[in-house]
Amino acid sequence: MSLFFKSPIDIEILFDGEESRKHVEIPNTTSSSARTLKDRYPLYEDGESLSGIVTLRVKEGRKVEHLGVKVSLIGTVDISKSGTEYKKRSVDNFLCLSADLCPQGELVHSQSFPFSFKDVEKRYESYKGKNVEVMYYLKVTVLRKSTDIVKLKRFWCYLYNSIPATHTAATSTDEPKPVKLDIGIENCLHIEFEYSKSRYTLKDVIVGRIYFLLTRLKVKHMELSLITRETCGLEPNQLSDSTSIRYEIMDGSPVKGETIPIRLFLGGYDLVPNVTSNYFNIRNYLSLVIIDEDGRRYFKQTEIILYRTRI
Amino acid sequence: MSYAETIEDAIGNIKQQTVLMQRCLSQGKLMDALKHTSIMLTELRNPALSPKQYYELYIMAYDSLSILSNYLVESHPKRHHLADLYELVQYAGNILPRLYLMITVGSSYLQSPDAPREEILKDMIEMCRGVQNPIRGLFLRYYLSQRTKQFLETDAQDKKFCVNFIITNFIEMNKLWVRLQHQGPLREREQRTRERKELQILIGANLVRLSQIVENDFALYTDEILPLVLEQVIQCRDVVSQEYLLDVICQVFPDEFHLGTLSELLNATLKLNPEVSINKVVLTLVDRLNGYLDRQENADEQSISEKLKTLKISDESCNLFLVFWKYLTKLNEERPDLSLQELAPLIQGVLKLSLRWYPANIKNVDVLYNFMLEKCKDYGKPIPEDWNYLFQDLLLVQDIIYDPNFLYTVITQCHSYQKLLSLQSVGLQKEVVKNILELISQAEIRITSKDELEKVLLICESVIKGSPTSTETSTSNLMLDNEDDLDSEDWVIQSDQEKLAKISHICYNKSIDVHAELLLSCKNWFYRGGKNIKYTYPAIICNFWRLIRKCNLKARRKPKLAKKLSAMTKQLFKYVSRCINDMFNVCGNGCSDLIYKLNLQTASLADQLTLGEIAYDFFSQAFTIFEESLSDSRTQFQAIVNMAQILQKTRFLYEESYYDTLITRCTLHGSKLLKKQDQCRAVYVCSHLWWATEISLLGEEEGITENFFREGKRVLECLQRSLRVADSIMDNVQSCELMVEILNRCCYYFIHGDENATHVGVKYINGLIELIETNLKSLKMEESGTDAEPIQTSREHYYIGIDGSYIHQSPINSVSAVSTKPPTAKINDLIPVPTEHFERTLKYITEQGEVDGRFKALIM
Repeated sequence: MSLFFKSPIDIEILFDGEESRKHVEIPNTTSSSARTLKDRYPLYEDGESLSGIVTLRVKEGRKVEHLGVKVSLIGTVDISKSGTEYKKRSVDNFLCLSADLCPQGELVHSQSFPFSFKDVEKRYESYKGKNVEVMYYLKVTVLRKSTDIVKLKRFWCYLYNSIPATHTAATSTDEPKPVKLDIGIENCLHIEFEYSKSRYTLKDVIVGRIYFLLTRLKVKHMELSLITRETCGLEPNQLSDSTSIRYEIMDGSPVKGETIPIRLFLGGYDLVPNVTSNYFNIRNYLSLVIIDEDGRRYFKQTEIILYRTRI
Repeated sequence: MSYAETIEDAIGNIKQQTVLMQRCLSQGKLMDALKHTSIMLTELRNPALSPKQYYELYIMAYDSLSILSNYLVESHPKRHHLADLYELVQYAGNILPRLYLMITVGSSYLQSPDAPREEILKDMIEMCRGVQNPIRGLFLRYYLSQRTKQFLETDAQDKKFCVNFIITNFIEMNKLWVRLQHQGPLREREQRTRERKELQILIGANLVRLSQIVENDFALYTDEILPLVLEQVIQCRDVVSQEYLLDVICQVFPDEFHLGTLSELLNATLKLNPEVSINKVVLTLVDRLNGYLDRQENADEQSISEKLKTLKISDESCNLFLVFWKYLTKLNEERPDLSLQELAPLIQGVLKLSLRWYPANIKNVDVLYNFMLEKCKDYGKPIPEDWNYLFQDLLLVQDIIYDPNFLYTVITQCHSYQKLLSLQSVGLQKEVVKNILELISQAEIRITSKDELEKVLLICESVIKGSPTSTETSTSNLMLDNEDDLDSEDWVIQSDQEKLAKISHICYNKSIDVHAELLLSCKNWFYRGGKNIKYTYPAIICNFWRLIRKCNLKARRKPKLAKKLSAMTKQLFKYVSRCINDMFNVCGNGCSDLIYKLNLQTASLADQLTLGEIAYDFFSQAFTIFEESLSDSRTQFQAIVNMAQILQKTRFLYEESYYDTLITRCTLHGSKLLKKQDQCRAVYVCSHLWWATEISLLGEEEGITENFFREGKRVLECLQRSLRVADSIMDNVQSCELMVEILNRCCYYFIHGDENATHVGVKYINGLIELIETNLKSLKMEESGTDAEPIQTSREHYYIGIDGSYIHQSPINSVSAVSTKPPTAKINDLIPVPTEHFERTLKYITEQGEVDGRFKALIM
């Protein structure tokens, strides 16, 4: 189709200093074939200005009439609701900044227009989940009588120190409090586990230990997994869990009194910090799973808060 | 990631991944190399492997990881920092490959000088806790110890840390090892124990490492190593583990350490699982300590104690026996359930130790035997025969019987020894006593005091009393009286009785009184043996004889004491008489022949000592026996000959015509024998009783000594009488043979005495020769069909012995057969017997004629 209806104008968006800017690689889920395929996006953070040049190229010897060229910075939350009968996408724009680049006229030559959005507030981090996607992009629109010519360029946004406000207790003290839990199945299993704290940066190490007070189970192995749970929409909430990390921490069956150390480096994994917003929530859970020799799984989840720091 | 189904696949996989890893390394692709390594290590996750298979895979993985490790060390700061890698490898999702990688990287990192060694080591050992599967955990920790080995060796400054590191690893490994026992179904328990034993070296290696690190640091050993290790050993409460580990402890650490920590080690054994055989552990320790003495160049006590002092081992613990003794008493208190079976080898072990370290200390030995004795008493029931070997070992400990003198000391000075022995079954007692007696009698030990003798005899009690069967018969002797008599006829060689008899030979004391006393107590003890005294009394009697001679010698040397000694001698004869009487009373007819001979022998001895009265008494005793008890005609004949022999040599019976009485009686008995040929021979033998000949030992000499007892007339009478008897024998062969024999006697007298004195003259002899020739002629006529018989080149040869037995020499058989009855041979074969004898005699006479003119008078 594009062969026949080739856009008369070639729009190129170039951010200032894009080449030297940090990029993030996000696995491309749309392309079904290769998992290894990744999209690279330039990385911005909250409050950062976004400036660049938009170049409109016209084919030699052609004139393009337009009703004006507009550049807009848009942030959207894209929630796909998988209901029972239909699949509906709702897109909410939470950010929309626009600027006119050029008034109504005619483009004869290729022309560049600088643009700049100063100190853009970005409320949410870019996110790509199963049902929810938070996107930031720059949109250049050449308005025409017929269909507009649109060019999008996505960029990625990280928010640092984004400690969710919901956890007030956590903010009150600087000292990270260790998480201790005492769980068990009567006459079967009784364990005590301990994580050094409940809040971790994305580059952090989860350190802890599991103390076996009673084991009548024939444990095959024990895993620690990190589960990312996104919640969106109204009641009933639409949940989607994805396991980000599966990490075996014990092999074989321990006896009473045994202590198993936990150490899990988070830095090497692609994790998502906790997000709380009107549209959706992202939470992280640590799940301790014990698998016995008959394949039964016993688990206990504990919420932990992940947040991004600059370091 | 998953593992291969079969071991072959797994091996193939490991090989393949190793190749891939090496290729990646050579290309500098570390990440890929790590990935391949991780895949390779996944094979070690396979739960279906037997320990042996797992070991095989482990070795391969180890080699492969060594390659990686080398690469890591070589390119450490250039291409990557090992600290980063240490973190990186921890992203591996599965714990086992992760930890192997971590240890590989960590240990490589340790080799660089700037590494935070302690932290890394601590971290590695801590993280290993994640593997709780026994086999996988064991190998992982073994891997850890192998990898860190070189580092721990070179690091001398912080021994304590290294020691703790190894001990921690050791403890965890042991726990896993013990846990292995309790996995899986119950019926596979045995197999599991076997598998565990295959793996034991993995755990033991830790202790070996410890011993290498500790070197000579005794303080470190007592403070840091031993308490922890022992605690673990005790706590694990596992039989296999406790036995193995204690054994290893005993083996790997230096002897001096064991000396210093003996009580700790021993106390640890008290707290073991009741199923552990304590004695195994203690015996290892004992062997070790005894070996220590062997390994010392100069093993005198002083140098050892000095050496121990340098190690700051207290003197108290130097008295090994005391330590062990305390231990035993404690053991007794805390483990009263310990069976004798367990205890016996234990005591034996301590005994060995005591004998090796304190060879002269009899008290120790006594104390130990007493301990065992008490336990045996507590046992209540008779000790089962199955355990005999245990007690035999205990009672005949190699170290004791090695030196018979010491054995003797033990026997005589250890009261408990005998008591313990007496608690054992009769069979065992006999066995032990037999051994003891053999050793003692071979070692030329002299029993000099009565006390000692009593001890020895007490020990021999079981043997003295004889076999239980004989006691049974004696209890019911009403019924079995006859059988009893029959039994007593059997002269079976009983080796233990023989050994018992030897005791009387090794009794010795300078003082004749004491010596006699010793023999008397032997006699009293042996008396309890009932019929067995027929084996033992002769030995005692012999010794009395010896003593009598000794008395006599002494009396001659010291005339002052002569009176006392002669009284003594008489007393000794009385003892002999008592012995003989006892034998007669107890054994009855069974050994009357023996008693007869003993009487004769004693009589002869008495005569030699000029004690005619006593000699007469014994002779008369002999006659009584002869008359009352000797019923067998052959024995009677032998007895007469024996009597004649002895009487002929007596010299001091002439007073009160004792001699006359005796010889007359002897001849009379001879002439009254049952068989004529016996009569004939007995009488011509008795003829010598009237013709005493010189005994050069007494200073007699033919022709010089005047007072020989000679009565030629009686000699001739005897010969004539025997000739009469010979003539009256119906069997021509025998008759002729006897006549030839009488001719021989005549020749003897002809040579030794004047014709007038002996009354055996030319005339008489000629007459005899003529008679024989006539008889032989008529004998020849009995010969049947000589010509019909072909002349045999090798004929059956027959002879008749001096006692009338037939000797058959066959050309086929080189061994001659002797029989008392006339053989069933052809008369032709028997005829040459007297004929040839006669020819030989005639030849002699002819030859004698050349020397002695008188012979020429004999007509041929």
